[in-house]
Order: sequence, then C-alpha cells, then structure tokens
Amino acid sequence: MMAAVGAAEVITQLESAAKVLMAPPSMVSNEQRQHAEHIFLSFRKSKSPFAVCKHILETSKVDYVLFQAATAIMEAVVREWILLEKSSIESLRTFLLTYVLQRPNLQKYVREQILLAVAVIVKRGSLDKSIDCKGIFHEVSQLISSGNPTVQTLACSILTALLSEFSSSSKTSNIGLSMEFHGSCKRLFQEEDLRQIFMLTVEVLQEFSRRGNISAQMSSVFQRYLALASQVLSWNFLPPNLGRHYIAMFESSQNVMLKPTESWRETLLDSRVMELFFTVHRKIREDSDMAQDSLQCLAQLASMHGPVFPDESAQVNYLARLVEGLLGMINGIEIEDSEAVGISNIISNLITMFPRSNLTAIPSELFNSFVNCLTHLTCSFGRSAALEEVLDKDDMVYMEAYDKLLESWLTLVQDEKHFHKGFFIQHAVQVFNSYIQCHLAAPEGTRNLTANGVASHEEEEINELQEDDRELFSDQLASIGMLGRIAADHCIPLLTSLLEDRVTRLHGQLQRHQQHLLASPGSGSVENKVLDDLYEDIHWLILVTGCLLADETQGETPLIPPEIMEYSIKHSTEVDINTTLQVLGSPGEKTSSIPGCNRTDSAIRLLSSVLRTSEVESRATRANLTDLLSPQMGKDIVWFLKRWSKTYLLVDEKLYDQISIPFSAAFGADTEGAQWIVGYILEKVINNLSVWSSEPDLANDTVELLVTLVERRERANIVIQCENWWNLAKQFANRTPPLHSLSSSVQRTLMKALVLGGFAHMDSETKQQYWTEVLQPLQQRFMNVINQENFQQICQEEEVKQEIIATLEALCGIAEATQIDNVVILFNFLMDFLNNCIGLMEIYKNTPETVNLIIEVFVEVAHKQICYLGESKSMKLYEACLTLLQVYSKNNLGRKRVDVSAEEDQYQDLLLIMELLTNLLSKEFIDFSDTDEVFRGQEPGQAADRSVSAADVVLYGVNIVLPLMSQDLLKFPSLCNQYYKLITFICEIFPEKIPQLPDDLFKSLMFSLELGMTSMSSEVSQLCLEALTPLAEQCAKAQETESPLFAATRHFLKLVFDMLVLQKHNTEMTVAAGEALYTLVCLHQAEYSELVESLLSSQQDPVIYQRLADAFNKLTASSSPPTLDRKQKMAFLKSLEEFVATVGGLLCVK
Amino acid sequence: MADADLDFTTGDAGASSTFPMQCSALRKNGFVVLKMRPCKIVEMSTSKTGKHGHAKVHMVGIDIFSGKKYEDICPSTHNMDVPNIKRNDYQLIGITDGFLSLLMDNGDVREDLRLPDSDLGKEIESKYEAGEEMLITVLSAMGEEAAVAIKAMTK
Repeated sequence: MMAAVGAAEVITQLESAAKVLMAPPSMVSNEQRQHAEHIFLSFRKSKSPFAVCKHILETSKVDYVLFQAATAIMEAVVREWILLEKSSIESLRTFLLTYVLQRPNLQKYVREQILLAVAVIVKRGSLDKSIDCKGIFHEVSQLISSGNPTVQTLACSILTALLSEFSSSSKTSNIGLSMEFHGSCKRLFQEEDLRQIFMLTVEVLQEFSRRGNISAQMSSVFQRYLALASQVLSWNFLPPNLGRHYIAMFESSQNVMLKPTESWRETLLDSRVMELFFTVHRKIREDSDMAQDSLQCLAQLASMHGPVFPDESAQVNYLARLVEGLLGMINGIEIEDSEAVGISNIISNLITMFPRSNLTAIPSELFNSFVNCLTHLTCSFGRSAALEEVLDKDDMVYMEAYDKLLESWLTLVQDEKHFHKGFFIQHAVQVFNSYIQCHLAAPEGTRNLTANGVASHEEEEINELQEDDRELFSDQLASIGMLGRIAADHCIPLLTSLLEDRVTRLHGQLQRHQQHLLASPGSGSVENKVLDDLYEDIHWLILVTGCLLADETQGETPLIPPEIMEYSIKHSTEVDINTTLQVLGSPGEKTSSIPGCNRTDSAIRLLSSVLRTSEVESRATRANLTDLLSPQMGKDIVWFLKRWSKTYLLVDEKLYDQISIPFSAAFGADTEGAQWIVGYILEKVINNLSVWSSEPDLANDTVELLVTLVERRERANIVIQCENWWNLAKQFANRTPPLHSLSSSVQRTLMKALVLGGFAHMDSETKQQYWTEVLQPLQQRFMNVINQENFQQICQEEEVKQEIIATLEALCGIAEATQIDNVVILFNFLMDFLNNCIGLMEIYKNTPETVNLIIEVFVEVAHKQICYLGESKSMKLYEACLTLLQVYSKNNLGRKRVDVSAEEDQYQDLLLIMELLTNLLSKEFIDFSDTDEVFRGQEPGQAADRSVSAADVVLYGVNIVLPLMSQDLLKFPSLCNQYYKLITFICEIFPEKIPQLPDDLFKSLMFSLELGMTSMSSEVSQLCLEALTPLAEQCAKAQETESPLFAATRHFLKLVFDMLVLQKHNTEMTVAAGEALYTLVCLHQAEYSELVESLLSSQQDPVIYQRLADAFNKLTASSSPPTLDRKQKMAFLKSLEEFVATVGGLLCVK
Repeated sequence: MADADLDFTTGDAGASSTFPMQCSALRKNGFVVLKMRPCKIVEMSTSKTGKHGHAKVHMVGIDIFSGKKYEDICPSTHNMDVPNIKRNDYQLIGITDGFLSLLMDNGDVREDLRLPDSDLGKEIESKYEAGEEMLITVLSAMGEEAAVAIKAMTK
C-alpha cells in the first residue's frame, strides 16, 4: 500500500528518465543521461518494489519503463526471497504470466524480460520446493494446443526462457547463488522438466511435418520450436556426482555431446524421433536458417552416448538407423552451401562417439556405402573449399566442413585394426589425389582456378603475423599425411614423381633466367608467373611429404611411422642398396639419369627429391640468382629437413620390432650415409645463414634445424666431425659477416647450437680445442676490450659498443643452451662474465640499451640455471645479483631521463629487474638440484656459509623496485602484472621477512596490496587476496600485537569483510577472499564481532535484522572459536558460500 | 651542413657519424637514420608481397632530438645507416642566458649547450637554483647534442 501512494509520481519520473535515455545523443547532455541512468539504477535497488512495479506494468505505456519494472521485480524477488511469503511469490508469478498472455502486442524485449523473471522465480523456487514447475507445463501445453500461432509463439518463449535459465551457470542470470545451487537445480530439471519440454516440442514438430502448405506465420512458429529442439538436444547433461569446481569447468566446455541420463531412454530410442528430424530437414533444407537448426539436431543425435543405451545391440541398432537415415538424406540431392558444415558435423560426431566395434557391427553393405559417401563428400568439399579460397570469401563454410571431414578420417583410420587390412586404401587414394589436385597448378591441378576454369592470380601483401601454411593447415596436413601412409604404395611414388618433375622444371626455368640475364644484364624484371607457380607446387608437395614421412613431436623422439617402415620392408627385395645410396648421395643429378634408378627404395627416393630441390636452390644462390628464389621454399626445405632428421637420422634400431634394411643402410648409426647427410645439411645451414640472413623467418628455421642436429648427442657426435662445423664456429667467433648481420635472436640460437655441439663425444684434447675455438675467443675479445686502459674514454665508441653488445647477446645464447648435464661447465663459465658485467653496469650507466641487455643476461642465467644449482652455487648467483641490484640502484637514484620511445619501453629495466627477482624466487617452487649433486667433485668441501639468501636479494630488489613503481606505472599491464606476481610471491614465500622491512617500505607494500585488491583487474585482486593469508598466519605465529603488520591486517579485515559482504564481487573470488577473511577473523576476533555488530545495528527493519543475525551466526557456528585449523577453515568456506547466496543480495541494497 | 657541424662540436674529426647495417639486423629500441635524421626505432615489422616474395622491413622511428616521427619501408637486404650515439655525463656548474655550463673531464668548461626547452629543462633550472649538484647526460649523434638525463650527485 505504502508504495502505491507515490506510484504515480514514480511513473512520471521514470517515464521522463526513459525519454532522456531514448533521445538522440545530440538532444541531451551527458549529465542528463547519467542522471536518468541513475534513476533507473536506484529504482531497481529500491526495497520491495512489487506493488509499484505491478502498477507500472498495468498503467505505463513506455516500453522501456515496462522493461525496467520487470527487471526490478526479478532482482527484488531474488534479493528478498527469504523475507517473502511463499503465497505472494506464487501470485507474483501468476500475475506476470497472465500479464504477458493478455498482451500479445508487447514489445519483444519487454516480453522476454518478463518471462525471464518468471523463469528466475521458478528456478529460485525449485530450491525451496515451494514452487511447482508442473503447473507451468500444464499451462504451456494448453497454449500450444490452442492452434493460435501467436499464443504458440508465446508458449515457446516461456519454454526457451526456462531452458536457458536452468541450462548452465554461464547463461543463467546472475542471481548471486552458488555453483552448487545451479548444479542441483539443473540436475532436477534435466530428469523431468527438460524431457517434458522436449516432448512438447516433438509434438509441435510432428504436427508441422504432417502439414502440406505452411503459411509464413506458421513457418516462423515452426522455426522457433525447431530451435528449441536443438537447444534441448544440445543440453549439457550434468553427471550425478560432480564437485563444484568441476561444474564450472564442465559448463564451459564447448561442443557439447549428447549424453542423456537413463530416464531419457524411452524417449530418445524411439525410432520415430530420429525419423522426425530427418523428415523435418528434408522439408526445410532450402531455408538456410532452419536447416542449421535441423542439422544441429541431427548432429546432436549422432553424438548420443552413455547410459541411455541399455546394451551394445541397442547402440548398434541406433547407429544403423542413423547411418541409413543420413545416406537417405544425402543421396540424390545437391548439397546446399548452408548444409555443408551441418552434414560434416553429423559425420564427425558419429565417427567420434560410436566405438569402432559398433561401426563394424552394422550391416557391411551399409557401412561400405557410408565410407563411399564420406569419400565422395570429402573430395567434393575439398574442391569447394579451394574455390572459396580463390574467391577469397569471408565465410569459408566448405573449408570448415572439409576440416571436419579430414579430422574424421584421421579418427577413423587410426584404429585400422578393427577393419580388414587394406579396407581404406582406395578411399585414401581418392582423398589424397583430390587434395594434391586442388593444390597444384594447372594443367595437372586446379589451384587458383575458378569454377569455370579461369585462372586467378593475385599477389597480396602478407604481414609477419600471418601464419605459415604449415601451421595454418597443420590439421589438414596431418590427416592427408596419415591417409598418404595408408595408401603408401600409391602416394609415395606419386609425390616423388611430382616433386622430381617440378624440380627439373624449376632447374630449367632458373637456367633460362640466368642465360637471359647473362645475355642482357640489367634488363629489368622478368615474368615470374611460371616460377611462382612452380614454387607454390613445390611448397605444397614438400609440406605433404613432410607430414607423410614423419610426425611432429615435442621433446620425445618421434618414431618412423609403422606404415612407412612396413612399406619399405615390403619392397626391400626389389631394391638395390647401392643404387639407393647413389640416388641419395647425388642430389645434383637428375634421378632418372642414374642407371637402375627404379630399384631405389621409394621412401628414400622421396627424401632425395627434397634434397634435389634443396640442391637446385643452393646452386641458384651460388649463381647469384637469389633474387629469383622463394624464401618460402627455403623455409619449407629446412622445415622438412628438421622434421625428417628428428625421425630418421641415425635411426635407433632398438626402438623397432623390425627395421627396413635400406633405412638402416642409408642413415643408420655408423653409416657413411648418415655422415653424408649430416654434412649435407650442415652445408645447407651455412649457406642459408649467409645468403638468407635478410629473411628473418628462414634464418630462424635454419638455426632451429642446426639445434636439432646437435641437441641429441648421437647426432652431435657426427656433426663435430665435420670441418664445416668448426669453420662455422670460428666464423661466428670472429664476428665477421655474414653471420653478424643476422638478427639478435638468430645469433643467440646459433650460439646455443654451438655450445650444445660442445657436449658431443670427443677426446679431451679435441674438446679442449673446441672450447678454445668457441668460448675462449668470446672471453678473450671481451677481456681485451674491457681491460684497455682507456676503456672509460672509448666505451661510447661505436665499435666498442658493438663488441660489448655482441658479447652480451652471446651470453644469453649460452644460458639458453643449459641442460642438466652441462650446467656445471656453463655456470662456471658464465659466472666469470656476470661479475665483469656488473662493472659494465657502472661504465654504461647512462646507456639504457646496454644496461637492459646486461640485466637480461642475469635474467636468462637465473631463468635457465637456478633450478639446477645447489646451495653454494645459488649463493654465488645471489651474490652477483645482489651486487647488480646495488649498482643499478646507486645509478638510478636521483636519475631522471627523457626518452623519445613509447612510455612502456622506457621502463624495460624495471620490468627486467622484476623478472629477475621472480626467476630467483622460482627456485622455491622448482628445484632439481640435489645438494650440489651435479657439482660434486667440483668444489673442495667448501661448507656453505649462508651469507646471502634468496630472501635477502629479493627483498633488496623490492627495496629498489617499490619506490619506483608509481601508480602511473601500474597502468601498464605488463608492469602491473609482473609487479603483483612478484609481491604475492614474496608474501607467500617469505612472510616472516615482511615485518622486518623498513617502515616506509612496509607501508608502500601494504598500500600496493590494498590498491591491487580494490582497484585493479580481478586477476590482480585475486593475487593480493592470496597474499593476505600467509601474512595473517605470520602474525598469528609471531603473536606481536604491537607490530605494524598486526595493525595492517586489522585494516585488511575490514576491507575483505566489506568486499565479501557489502559489495558485489566476482564469485570466482569468493574462495580466495574467504580464505583471507577466515585467517583475518582468527587473528582479530573482537574486531570482527564489532564489524558484525555495527552492520546489524544499522538495520532498521527487524525482519532483516533477524535474518542477518541468524546468517552471521550460522556462518561462524562450525568454527567457533575460530582457529587456524584446516578443517575449520574448510567448514567456514562452505558456510560462507551459503551466506553469500542467502543474504549477500540483501546487503548490497542501499 | 650537418657534417660541418660535426667536426666542430664533437672534436673527433674523421670518425664517421654513421655506419651501415643490414636492415634485418636492426632491432626495436635500436637506432637508425630515417630521412637524414637520427631516430630510435619504436616499431618494426616485416611483410612480403605474395607468398614467395622477399621480406621487406617496415620501420617507425622517432627523431631522438625533435621527437618527430618518421617511417620507412625497404627490402630487408638493404643496408641502412645507423647513427653513432654517444652519451657523456658532465657536472653542471652554471646556467647563463639559457646555456648550460658543463665541466668536462679534462677540466675545461663548455658553455655551448642549450638548456632544453622541456620539462627536463625546467627541472634542471629549478634544481640548480635550489643549489643541488647534478650530472647532466648529453646525448650526441650526427653532429647534434642535447641534454637527456640528470642524475643527482651523491656526495
């Protein structure tokens, strides 16, 4: 009653505010707009707004105000739930539903909002069991049977609102309830109500599918129910026992597969249901919108699995019906563009979800037709995808469909043993051929041809961010490579002949260019179309070859694919080893010119065709034709060599049951072949680094190939026997061109490779000599420079600076080469430099780029080595870092500089220092050292006296960093994140050091925490909350109630209390905040009681007072008196969740 | 014109004010000469025309003296000029008519460097007036010089 008094006024106010909000931007000022927004905001927060809202809904004509009234009701119901009588909730729900029914002409957004309010009420009520869902379904089914399209649409809206409200925590309205609550609501819903919705929907669809002509209005109703069906079938069924942490993870999964509970058996195994969806699709397939939904329904049905099937035969039956229906649907039609993705989803789901034993159990004829159909579709989608690329379409539907089908092939053929041998060969041949055809230029191929055979050729600008084809199409290539292995008898010779042919043509083409250039030097540009076509052909052929011959692996040793091994063994009787070696060893000659070349092992001949490509490239560079070459092809070649070397070079026979004789003869351990290949690759690398130094990606791939050669000891053993390797080392040590014009990252990797090579097996004399060639010059040159008497004066001279920078870069490369078995040598070597580097810090104190590089060396050494270092070595590093920090600090105290560069870059040094400190701290988490195990025997029983600890260094560093981290700097995300990561680490690892900090430092640390908690990103806020718990525990341990830390924690108690109880916060944060709160409460029980008291005393409404008081009592009931005991803490956290859910909303109101 | 100044102001006659470097070896936050001006590279990216084209480098640099922005794009095989950059610290001993008096290492005093017309300049002036002693970092490149940093002297 009270509320109704001012209702008219309220309405006037709201309506005029709505007018402001709806007005064009030019008509109202910013302040007016904000004021209007504020009016609505406070309206929605007002207490018990139900009567007013009802009144508004009944009288106002302004849609936006109606919308806000609906929102206000929804929010208030949830907020005041525990204060409301059940009967008034019930009548509110009836009111809203009747309201909508009686007003068919409501604006859509108003109607949906009101229905959302209904859905929220139903959901909130399901927790209390006070509201019965069934009532609603009865009403809805009556609406459906009315036959009136408008009413039917409304019924569908109600069901949709219910569905999305119950479906998942991400779609659900934020009503401040816990994950567990959402979870249990959902479980209840999916057993009964969801099925009821599905049945209602199926009835409607059946009705429509029987009708002949459908009016436009009917068709739109139909569409809505179809969409609803697809939503039901995409329901992410929540398994019965899933902890709350998993619910969130589970809910976020995309591409939900249909896994209904047992209670759905009768409904979904009813053959009429599946038939219905096939029928429906046939009926509407030309309408692209509806077709999407009907195909989605079918795709979901194709993914069905789990307890819904009583036994295997039921599953086989279901699958057979599905496949039959699918073939019936596809055969004889021309597939629409809009169907491609949907159809490929059905197939992909089916192949992924049904076990192989089911596939083989369906009638074999049916299965054969299915595989034939899949083959046909794959080839056809592949061709259409190629067309899309030519036309440069935005929406690549066929590409997406093709990807899906190729992925399905991979799944299908991976368990080939379920099918009879060779079953898939013919299909694989077809798919492989069509892939190759689409990627080759005319006349053999169709690349860049439009549908009517017109060639299109455009040179577009490609930036560095664009992925290389080998990454962009890695999934496609993996599937094609797999299919190629299955049909190796066909595919390997095919690739070989295509590649040999292209290489011969490329060679000829380059020769013609050369003659042309010799005849008329400088005669301008040449027509490059022919060359470009050849490069593109070779590009794809090498990519496919690489993926066919070898797998990509991270870390572990990749094995030769069994299909390739078998293929080579099968044909080994027809193979002549000597011819094979000759074909392999003469990349400069045409294969066909070698007598008996047809008796070459085919897999080796395929490799040798790539080597021939490489040879043509190398010769062209020697003939000064580099300008005509394709750096992309260069990349493809080294990519291939890297992938191939990892798998085949020095094949380890122990890893295989049987081994191909040609393979072990050509590149097994202790063979000339292996030595020859290593030498060849090395030569390639050296050549590339000199002619391609200007191509960053190619240079990078090239040094990566080099690292591959030396990272395994067996390979490195051969590498270091090559004279070229030693030449490379010398050349690099001399810093002569062309190596020193490589980019710095390439130079670092090169240094890394050279260091790794040094751990190959050599006699001690050779080893000595090697290090003399590789590392000593570095030291020598460096010493020569810095020991010059006038170093101070000449340090700014360019050559001197270049020398220093090159040394620092090399040091970073050396650190990168660290492995557990070489850390001893490398650490000792680097330590000498680190101490000298500190001297450089002093010399170059006014040269930021050098200072940054010096710090970077420390960062790298700490990053790569600290985890292996034992106590005394760590100490040395800590000491060096400490000195570095001292010098840095001295030089930066009172320094102010202006720099033209972007602001964030100016603080590179600060970022690096924080990175260094974080790296040093990481030893507390990751430590592989076994009390100087790796250094044993290195140092003569020197007892480690703990002169410096990680804590000292890090806290000293924080001393430097903190005063420099102004609030302005925290605006840079990289600095801000690194900073908070660092201080949280410190609080977690050394809480006992915090109280010992100097006063001002302590204060700024506490201020930083407060700032991070209250006004930074939620990620930072979480970090800070995590830092509070160890600090509070530290206080509890120390029991010094006078300490500043104790006082600070009291302040934090209030902050966290307010955050949890009074402010809307991210529910993800509840756990971190809850833990912090609990520990703080333990520490300051009296203060906590005061906080609660003062909050309660500010409540005027006795009902609210009582509910709140109860809630607070319940919150601490399980943990009183609170102690730092894990069990109690867990109990508290659990009650806290309930607390936030029940009264959290009440308190957020003003 | 710049060359004439060079000999005069820096005193190391004969030393070149720039040196060549292959474009691909340049790096972000390094230096390069763009449109005859010494610049700090603030952005660097590569691109190519067509999948089989050769790399081109796109650079954005900021004039280290004027703060003006320059851009250039060139094949990555090209050599670019890189300015020789020097930084020297001098003690500030006076400010006269907008010029700084700086004490050189050899005891001489130079008085030819302008007080920068910037926030840093204002800071130098106010700190000097407050009687604080400080070092001035002078950056020189291609015959031009400017004060770019100050450091309070620790006694």
